[in-house]
Amino acid sequence: MNEQEFIVEMRGITKRFPGITANDGVSIQIRKGEIYAILGENGAGKSTLMSMLFGMIEPDEGEIFIRGKRERIDSPRRATQLSIGMVHQHFRLVSNYTVAENIILGMEPEKKCGPFPMVDIAGANAKVAALSERYGLQVDPTDVIEDLNVATRQRVEILKMLYREAEILIFDEPTAVLTPQEIAAFLDIVRGLRDQGKTVILITHKLEEIKQVADRCAILNRGKLISVMDVASSTTSDMARMMVGHEVSFSTPKAPPHFGSPVLRLENLTVKNAAGFNSVNSVSFEVRAGEVLGIAGVSGNGQNELADAIAGLQRCHGGKIILNGRDISNLSIRERVEAGVAYIPEDRHNVGLVLDFTLRDNLMLKQYYRARFAHRHVMDEIAFDEYGKELIGRYDIRSNQGDATITRSMSGGNQQKAVIARELDLKTPLVVFMQPTRGLDAGAVSNIHRQIIAERDRGAAVLLISLDLDEILDCSDTIAIIFQGHINKIAPAASLTVEEIGLYMMGVKGGEAA
Amino acid sequence: MRLLRSLFFGDRFRMLRASFWALLFSLAAGAVILFLMGKDPVSAYANLLQGSGLLPKVKYAGRQNQLTDFLSFLDAMTPMVFASLSVAVALRSGFFNIGVPGQMLAAGFCAHIVTAALGNVLPSPLAKLLVLVIGIAAGAAMGAFMGWLKDRFNVNEVVTSIMLNSIAMYLITFYINTFYVDPVSRQSRAISDAARLTLSGVRTHGMKADFALAFPLAILVAFLLRTFLDRTTYGFEIRALGLSRGAARYAGISLSRTTLLTMALSGALGGLAGVAYFCGYFASIQPGTVPGMGFDAIAVALLGGNHALGCILASFLITVISKGSVYMSSRLSVEPEIASLITSVILIFSACSASFVGRRGGHD
Amino acid sequence: MTELLNMMIIDGLSFALPLFIMAIGGIYSEKSGITNLALEGFQGVGAFTGAFAAVFLAQSMTGALPYYVSFLCAIIGGGVFALLHALLCIRFRANQVISGVVMNILAMAMTTFLTKRINAAVFGHAGNKFLLGTSARFTVPVLSDIPVLGAVFTDVYPFEVIILVVAVVMSYVLYRTPFGLRLRACGDNPHSVDAAGVDVNRVRSVAVVISGCLSGIAGMSFAYSISANFSADIYLGYGYLSIAALIFGNWTILPAFGACLLFGLARSGGTVLIQQLGLPSSYNDLVRILPYVLTLVLLIFFSRSNRSPRALGEPYEKGKR
Repeated sequence: MNEQEFIVEMRGITKRFPGITANDGVSIQIRKGEIYAILGENGAGKSTLMSMLFGMIEPDEGEIFIRGKRERIDSPRRATQLSIGMVHQHFRLVSNYTVAENIILGMEPEKKCGPFPMVDIAGANAKVAALSERYGLQVDPTDVIEDLNVATRQRVEILKMLYREAEILIFDEPTAVLTPQEIAAFLDIVRGLRDQGKTVILITHKLEEIKQVADRCAILNRGKLISVMDVASSTTSDMARMMVGHEVSFSTPKAPPHFGSPVLRLENLTVKNAAGFNSVNSVSFEVRAGEVLGIAGVSGNGQNELADAIAGLQRCHGGKIILNGRDISNLSIRERVEAGVAYIPEDRHNVGLVLDFTLRDNLMLKQYYRARFAHRHVMDEIAFDEYGKELIGRYDIRSNQGDATITRSMSGGNQQKAVIARELDLKTPLVVFMQPTRGLDAGAVSNIHRQIIAERDRGAAVLLISLDLDEILDCSDTIAIIFQGHINKIAPAASLTVEEIGLYMMGVKGGEAA
Repeated sequence: MRLLRSLFFGDRFRMLRASFWALLFSLAAGAVILFLMGKDPVSAYANLLQGSGLLPKVKYAGRQNQLTDFLSFLDAMTPMVFASLSVAVALRSGFFNIGVPGQMLAAGFCAHIVTAALGNVLPSPLAKLLVLVIGIAAGAAMGAFMGWLKDRFNVNEVVTSIMLNSIAMYLITFYINTFYVDPVSRQSRAISDAARLTLSGVRTHGMKADFALAFPLAILVAFLLRTFLDRTTYGFEIRALGLSRGAARYAGISLSRTTLLTMALSGALGGLAGVAYFCGYFASIQPGTVPGMGFDAIAVALLGGNHALGCILASFLITVISKGSVYMSSRLSVEPEIASLITSVILIFSACSASFVGRRGGHD
Repeated sequence: MTELLNMMIIDGLSFALPLFIMAIGGIYSEKSGITNLALEGFQGVGAFTGAFAAVFLAQSMTGALPYYVSFLCAIIGGGVFALLHALLCIRFRANQVISGVVMNILAMAMTTFLTKRINAAVFGHAGNKFLLGTSARFTVPVLSDIPVLGAVFTDVYPFEVIILVVAVVMSYVLYRTPFGLRLRACGDNPHSVDAAGVDVNRVRSVAVVISGCLSGIAGMSFAYSISANFSADIYLGYGYLSIAALIFGNWTILPAFGACLLFGLARSGGTVLIQQLGLPSSYNDLVRILPYVLTLVLLIFFSRSNRSPRALGEPYEKGKR
């Protein structure tokens, strides 16, 4: 095969959504049998570009060539016919079906039952077993999906593509939900697929993984293609600089901290998940006034449960949560707000905001019942309006109709500003940030980081939980590392190196401390 | 000008606009049906208004005029206002109260039984008040039960409603047929005039009129409900719960309390609809059937945009059609069922009206 | 005593089977992700179409043909009417609960209106019903002599056989064929079906139409047995009862059959019991409460483990998670 012959070529692809241009004249060329990474920050347009290759959306401008032939890919079905497969960030599996049933869905092997056709389940199981053998993807065809862990489900998704004889395999943020060990195994699988002659496209923002497996890497920033680099001959810092569009600096300006007395103290806090498993396992630490405690960890190690338990959204099954000397572990959510817990939750769409409320009402969500705003349960509209306008001005929340804007119509950054404005204005002794910058662009991120530091300097105890290690390093005075529901290590930020933190996150080091 | 623009394009009047289009399409569809049947749609629709006392008829039977027609129209409209409010308030907090028929039956039945047991002990105003109180209590109890099952055991309220409707219907049918039947009408015995919420056949100024005493109450309740939902913290909590369960919980709103409160409130309104229907508009209960009005109310609430005042308007419209159809069918010799046919077309259009005006766009 | 037991089984089955076929229809629809409260309306419209066909054909024909043609028409009528529910729920993305209720209101209004119209226009007399009479029954020789179980083969309505055959076919389609596999996947994770290149909304539309067809059979069966005519009396809430049965059966066919049998036998058993005790027939209504109370109690205890299809009631939008 000719070196210069490309299996995928996208020329001048432009895609606009209301308000933003997600892709702006992007052209990429992918060779058969290479691992091609698409790198970019959140909102850089990586997923949009690949969604067009997989036929989920169609470009406004531009052309797509597959194996040198111009194609119109208007549906995933068409993409499948062109032997393109995609593993989405959110898996598309039927939870109560077996592995084999999921894999064959839509292309079922049939056999005859008398004159009638029926699904050949035994045949399907055998096929899937053979396929998993061939590519070294360990699965049992008869297992039911809902009993499987994330990494296994991912293997099922890969097998789904292979069953359809896909040659071009697209992965959207495949490692976001995996543990370090699983990531290593996954990268091995990807190499194996390349060795079998498949073309692999990885959408990611993790430089380390690209460095490990990718041959070439396209870098997107704000919808534009910045560069295509040969991975072997580039450094990660080069790639990082290109990705962000300016010199990478991990420095939010901050003064030295002044620690006060402990505000939050956890004593052997234990939270069980629905299956009765300890998702937070006997966690103890304290956060002092004027301190940012950052909790680092790989996704799914109990971070959500920890934050929810402190805010009262999940029940504690053991241990104590002590706020300023008072045990709040059995208080209701409302009582904890009154006791002084502000909480910026991870999911602003389903938890942090009532999307169909006006901006004003969302800003009132934690205070509408207070004497300042309601007398004998009758709300004071004037006080509502005044307060809403005040917060909008003070926190620079932009929307097209001011406080009467329906929150759903606002941009993600401004929605998050509204959540943060509401919570910070409670002026509580404890503020819990859970993934506060997820999905936001660089400008919004640094703004939020400044607010985190400002809270600290006001004298609040700040608990910052994030999957983004850079964020933790940028803001924290003290860093705790959580692994399998357990605090593995806790130390002043300055005393830890990134490599060390990484080892604790993977559970390689630590385990003795608690 | 600004008001005019927001009326046509703004978010604020989105629901109103949707209902308007639904209505327009349905009336057009009804006109086509009538035309195909060889009837004049214009005079047919005029007949509806005449039958409801909104336009003068050509001639009147003895002791009747436009005003008496209108009064009996209001009598028919009263339970529909309550019933649609019942559905609307539940929907505002995200629950489907399909149980209005059961709540109506239970409330009407309890009021019948208690007033019958008391006989003529109570003076009329007190008896009427008692009927209202029983209606509210019986309906609220049923609503709260549904809310409790939902909150405590996570039983879907739609399913509970269906079961309770049937249970109420069979239980009451059994009781009426066994102990409380009027041998002539085969319905339940009639409620005493003293306790009945409608003053039936009152002779004044040479006319015979029906006064629905509950009608002013229905209007008052609608306004109170609007204020309750829009201006009180309870209303704020109900609305928050209806729009986002997760966010409501996060905001510290007690889901159990709000669920129980809403369902009890919705049930109480359903109960009021029941007494206005069975102890007002009618004086007796027909065994073996659930009041279809309870189901119609779901769609009426939808047509009214789940808004308290919208419910009054929507009830008015639907009642014009159902009440006026009697006169229309006699004038044009059309089957009176044409009314419920047009009504259901309106309901269909309003059920999918969201797609006429387009859904709200958004980022993310 | 055997006499009574026989009566109970015979009547119980003739009620349980129509209920069962309607419940299968409901399972099809809900397993594909479309909430279906409209079964009540579907069976009514089915009965209406079938009864009209039967009465119309009976003018010129005798024998069993009108009977079978009426079932065919009921299937078509129910299915066509169900298209409207599919259209509202899928194309217009109406709320499925509301659409179901509206369907029922429309069905009742439309069929009573049309019955009167047709009686006047086609058959030349006023009336709000199509008179059918109850259908003939048959008894299987030999098998019916088996003690107790023989009752199953005694005084059988022909529609009971039709229903059993259809039920077996429908179970096979749902649990064994590629179409069934895709249909059930639509109710759990429609995105997976779409990603597999199958049109989710088409599968769902077909499922809703099937529920209409099967409900049509049920409606026609009720018209030929319990009510002996078609009139507004067909809307007695049997559709809702079959919903209770399918929930009781946790959205699977065989347990739903058990629930229908239970409901049917409870009904006929109650009737027999009340006759034996010499109580007035109005006590029958007391017995009718039983299935609903049972379902309610069961739901209280099993609502946490009893799982409705995960994507039930959610319209499918491409590209949205």
